[in-house]
Amino acid sequence: MSETAVKKESKLTTKDLWIVFWRWWWACEMSNSYERMQSVSYCFAMIPVLKKLYTNKEDLVEALQRHLVFFNTEGNIGMSILGISVGMEEEKSVSSLPGDAIISVKTGLMGPVAGIGDSLIGGAVRPLIFSLALTASANGSVIGVPIMFLYVVVTVILGWFLMCAGYRLGKDAVASMLESGWINRIITGASVLGLFMMGALSATTISLKLAGSYVSAGQTVTIQSVLDGLIPGLLPLIVVMAIYLFFKKKGQKFLPVIITIIAGALLLSLLGIV
Amino acid sequence: MLLIAIVAGLWATIQAWRPGYGTHEVLFQPLITAFIFGIAFGDMHTAMILGSAIGMMYIGLIAPGSELPQDMGLAGSIGIPIAMQSGMDAQTAMVLAVPFGVLGVFINQLRRIINANSAHRADKFALTCNEKGIQHAALWYPLAVNFVLRFPPVFIAVYFGSTVVQSFIAMLPAWVLHGISVAGGVLPAMGLALIITLIGRPSVMPFFFMGFFLIEFSGLSTLAAACFGIPLAIVVVLMSKENQDNVMKEVKVLVAGSRDDDDDDDE
Repeated sequence: MSETAVKKESKLTTKDLWIVFWRWWWACEMSNSYERMQSVSYCFAMIPVLKKLYTNKEDLVEALQRHLVFFNTEGNIGMSILGISVGMEEEKSVSSLPGDAIISVKTGLMGPVAGIGDSLIGGAVRPLIFSLALTASANGSVIGVPIMFLYVVVTVILGWFLMCAGYRLGKDAVASMLESGWINRIITGASVLGLFMMGALSATTISLKLAGSYVSAGQTVTIQSVLDGLIPGLLPLIVVMAIYLFFKKKGQKFLPVIITIIAGALLLSLLGIV
Repeated sequence: MLLIAIVAGLWATIQAWRPGYGTHEVLFQPLITAFIFGIAFGDMHTAMILGSAIGMMYIGLIAPGSELPQDMGLAGSIGIPIAMQSGMDAQTAMVLAVPFGVLGVFINQLRRIINANSAHRADKFALTCNEKGIQHAALWYPLAVNFVLRFPPVFIAVYFGSTVVQSFIAMLPAWVLHGISVAGGVLPAMGLALIITLIGRPSVMPFFFMGFFLIEFSGLSTLAAACFGIPLAIVVVLMSKENQDNVMKEVKVLVAGSRDDDDDDDE
C-alpha cells in the first residue's frame, strides 16, 4: 500500500502520512487531560503536514489551532480520522474549504469510531492476546512477554491500514463503513468471540472450592467432589454471574465488589467452609 | 533494596508516560512489570508466575476513555517487587496489590487534571507557530508530571514496604492467610464480569456459557478455546449477513412492488 496510499498530483507523499502516523502513535496518550483529552497529541501529529501545506504564517496558526480542539477517541481505529484530517487539510490548502468543516468532521467521527474501537480492540483483540500471553507464562515461562507485544504489532498494522484508507476515501470512509452494516456484523462477531473467551477464561482463572467432607460407607467424600459430579465449576460461575448482574444493575462500582470478595473469603475461611 | 526501589519508581514513571498507542496497555500489564523485576532480582521463573497471576486478575479491565477502575501498572510496580522480596505466593500478592491499584487511580486522575496545563501552553505556542514548544507540551511536560506523581510513592512503598509487609504477615493467623488466598482466587471474576457487562448483549450471552462449560468439561487450554471460538464467531458473522441479505431481498421485492425505482443510491 505504498504508492496507492497518496492521491495523485498531491503535495503530500506516503512518507508524510507515515510521519503523522508514528507521531500520533507515539504521543497519543501522553498529554491526555480531562480538559482537552488527546488534543495536544493530535496537533503534535499534524505539525509536519500542516507546515508543508501552509507556508503563510496566519494560515499555519489557524491550522494548528484547529487541531488543538477537544479530541478523544480510540487510538487505533482513530487513525482513520487522522487520515481524513490530512486529506481535508490538503483539500483546504488549494480550495476554499472552510476550516470549520475539518473540525466538525473530526469531532463528529470521534464518538462512533471510539465505539467501534472499544468493542473490536478492547473487547476481542486485547483480551484474546493478553490472556494467551498470561496463560503461556502461568508456569513461569517467559514466552508470554513477546506474545503480549504481538498486540502492538497487530494494532499498528491495522492502524496504518486505516489511516491510508481514511486519507484516500476522505470523510466518506467511516460513514460508508457504518452504513454498509458490515461494521455491525464485525462488532457482533467480535463480541461472540469475546464472550466465548470470557467463558473459557472464567473456567480457567477463577478458583473457589468448598472445604467440607463427610464419611459415607466408610469412605471420606468431599462436598466439592459431589458438586463437581453435578455441575463442574458451579461456584465460579455463580460468582462471576453475580458480579455481572451487580455491575449491570448498579453500574461499575468496584470497591463494594472488592470489599465483599475479601470480607466474604475471610468469613468463609474462619467458618471453615472454603 | 535501594536499587530495586529506584527501578520500581522509574518503571512506574515510564509506563505511565504511555509511549506508543497499544504499547501503553502492554507496559501496564503486570506480566511486563514482572519481566523487569525478573531481571532485577535474577529470578525470571518466580516473576513470571507472579506477573501472570496478577495479570489474570486485571484481564477484564478495559474501559472507554482510558479511565480504569484499578491501576494495574502501579499495583504491579509495588506489589511484584514486595512479593518477590518477601517470597509470598501469587494469590496473596494479588490481594496485596489491590490497594495500590486504587491509589494509582487517584494518581492518574491528578495527572489528567495537571495535564490541562500542557494544553494551555500548547495554545500559546500555536500562536507563534512554536513547533518545538508544542512538542514539549505533547511529550516532555507529561513525562515530568509522571515522575513527580509516581516516583515518590512507588519508591517509598517498595523501599520500606517489604520489611513491614513481611513482619505483618508473620503475625497473621492461619485462617486470615487462607481467606486472603481464597479471595485471590475469586478476584479475577471481577475483571471478567466487567468485560461481560461491556460486550455482553443478551443475544450473544449464550456464547459465554459455551466457552465456560467447554473448558470445565474438557479441561482444554484457552488457546484451544480460541480455536473453537474464532470459527464460531466467523459463522455467526456470515450467517447474520445471509439473514440480512434475505431481509434486503424481501424489502426490495416490497419496494419494487410499490414503486419503479428500487435503487437508493443517488450517485
